[in-house]
Amino acid sequence: MTQDFVTGEKVVDAVKDAVAETLSIEKDTIKPESSLINDLDAESLDFLDINYRIEQTFGIKMARHFILEHIEEMFGEGSAIDEDGKLTEKAVELLKIRLGEELPGITAGTDMDDIPAHITVQSIANGVMDILDTLPEKCSCGASAWASDDGAKVKCSSCGEPAAFTNGDDLSQEWLRKVQEEKKIF
Amino acid sequence: MIKIHQGVDMVNTSKLRDICMRHEGFVSEIFTEREREYCMLKKNPYQHLAGRFAAKEACLKALGWGLQGIDSIMQEIEVLHSPSGKPELQLKGWARKLATKFGITGRTVSISHSGDYAVSTVILTGEKR
Repeated sequence: MTQDFVTGEKVVDAVKDAVAETLSIEKDTIKPESSLINDLDAESLDFLDINYRIEQTFGIKMARHFILEHIEEMFGEGSAIDEDGKLTEKAVELLKIRLGEELPGITAGTDMDDIPAHITVQSIANGVMDILDTLPEKCSCGASAWASDDGAKVKCSSCGEPAAFTNGDDLSQEWLRKVQEEKKIF
Repeated sequence: MIKIHQGVDMVNTSKLRDICMRHEGFVSEIFTEREREYCMLKKNPYQHLAGRFAAKEACLKALGWGLQGIDSIMQEIEVLHSPSGKPELQLKGWARKLATKFGITGRTVSISHSGDYAVSTVILTGEKR
């Protein structure tokens, strides 16, 4: 369900905190549209560090498989990436729906390793919000009494258990199934 | 005609150690059991983990796959050793599928350490389709 315990602003702020701490830079220099690679010089270890920090902050599990991998698993070999490592037209269509924005420079035929440069503070925050919006109606104890003391971690105010959100990979697969059902892309 | 895919990566050992210390699941999520067993017996395990991380990242670059989070592909690229101690790459899962898709049939890896840095190069080869 769409939750209102953690706001979009709080998520962007927490992502900025994670980026600032990981890269040892001033938080004020980070904008929602900042590309982690092109604008902030993040490297692969930094991506891991930032993701772990965000998971700890919100008590969630982000995806361990990129969406292109899920597309190929679900819709077959070559459905997302061709034999030269280039994105297919259908992969680009899905990426644009998923990221909910124009992706300048990303077209059919783009190298798949060009995608990480498009990861921004806002796109990470959007992914976190998608996971947070999988908050179940009820806790496993049966109570419908979610609460958040810090505006980040959601827990059951009846039994104290942390909320069990859908993990990022299951969410990606659910999303792909839904989009395929609605738009018949493959 | 042979097609060559090359990747190189350098890792700061202190930075890697710091992340390992702060995130409990990091080592087991990124490194395979055999890699952990090998590295943890060394005098400076983090230097060896850094070398393996660099090799995995170099292999990803050679495959044209950019890391963008906590990607399970890191577990699917395993750095093992021949009896002589020479490092070797084993690919599984998605990493193996990508290599097959690109027609890769040969692979070499080299790792080196000095001071606080580890560096690795990976060369993947295959017939150009």
